[in-house]
Amino acid sequence: MAGRGKLIAVIGDEDTCTGFLLGGIGELNKNRKPNFLVVEKDTSITEIEETFKSFLARSDIGIILINQFIAEMIRHAIDAHMQSIPAVLEIPSKEHPYDASKDSILRRAKGMFSAEDFR
Amino acid sequence: MRADQHLRLDEQLLLFMDQLEALEEKRHKLNSLIEEGWFSIAKTRYSMGNKQVSALQYASEMEPLVHVEASLLEGGTAEFKCERRQNKTEEMKKNTVEDIGVNETGLRRRINTKQKGVKEEEEETDPQVKTKAESSTPEHREPLKWFGILVPQSLKQAQSAFKEVITLSAEIASLQSAILATRKEMQAQVKDKQEKTQTEIEE
Repeated sequence: MAGRGKLIAVIGDEDTCTGFLLGGIGELNKNRKPNFLVVEKDTSITEIEETFKSFLARSDIGIILINQFIAEMIRHAIDAHMQSIPAVLEIPSKEHPYDASKDSILRRAKGMFSAEDFR
Repeated sequence: MRADQHLRLDEQLLLFMDQLEALEEKRHKLNSLIEEGWFSIAKTRYSMGNKQVSALQYASEMEPLVHVEASLLEGGTAEFKCERRQNKTEEMKKNTVEDIGVNETGLRRRINTKQKGVKEEEEETDPQVKTKAESSTPEHREPLKWFGILVPQSLKQAQSAFKEVITLSAEIASLQSAILATRKEMQAQVKDKQEKTQTEIEE
């Protein structure tokens, strides 16, 4: 791993994962653990949350891409993540277009202009 | 002193707004590129069949072709740079060319050093073994091949769209980190300003 950059991880629906894997981000490490999770109808929220947390804990991951509708399911876990590496990026999905007002980062930035800041 | 502080705060605010604007622009580009990618995947599915483009086709072994160089700058800002490894097929082509070259020199040496003994011959065989090992590098690194040998053009278009998305997402991640750092800095300055005005009022 030394001398190499970090990986990009994806948590998303089938098409999003397929697209990003086509782009060449996919990896199966020595323990055969992938750096992606295909979320299907029967994927539980616990599983998504656990995978997200395992990605956060991995030192070889630099960016985590996650569909916004999936991010909504585990919003508390995303909001709790304050470190700059790995960075969490919310992306749109086929059925759910990107909504900036839901984005954790933009919500934090928006907080700058709340009444409390100027009290 | 106070005017100076106000000026700094204004500059920070302008920088913050600029960064938000840049983020908005990049986000818009990212969203349209992803949409383009999905559309191409849908087209591929239409021409190849519904089950031919799914998670079932993913290779059992994968190696990443893209890495991000993450570096922590001053003020806790993280910068991400996308690095793409050379295409597998190109690498393989290069290897085969090298194979021929190595074999030729091996033969030439054999003729010249025939009388020098068996030792040299053993050494000559080493590079051949090495090149064979190199040329047997797996094809699974090229994700297009997971879906067949002759894939439709639309899948290649999807691939190039997502490649761009990956580069762009690294830029957005850097920008997001910079925005949070600017916000933190601004909050600290606002607090400082408030404290100073409070003490002035008390005096």
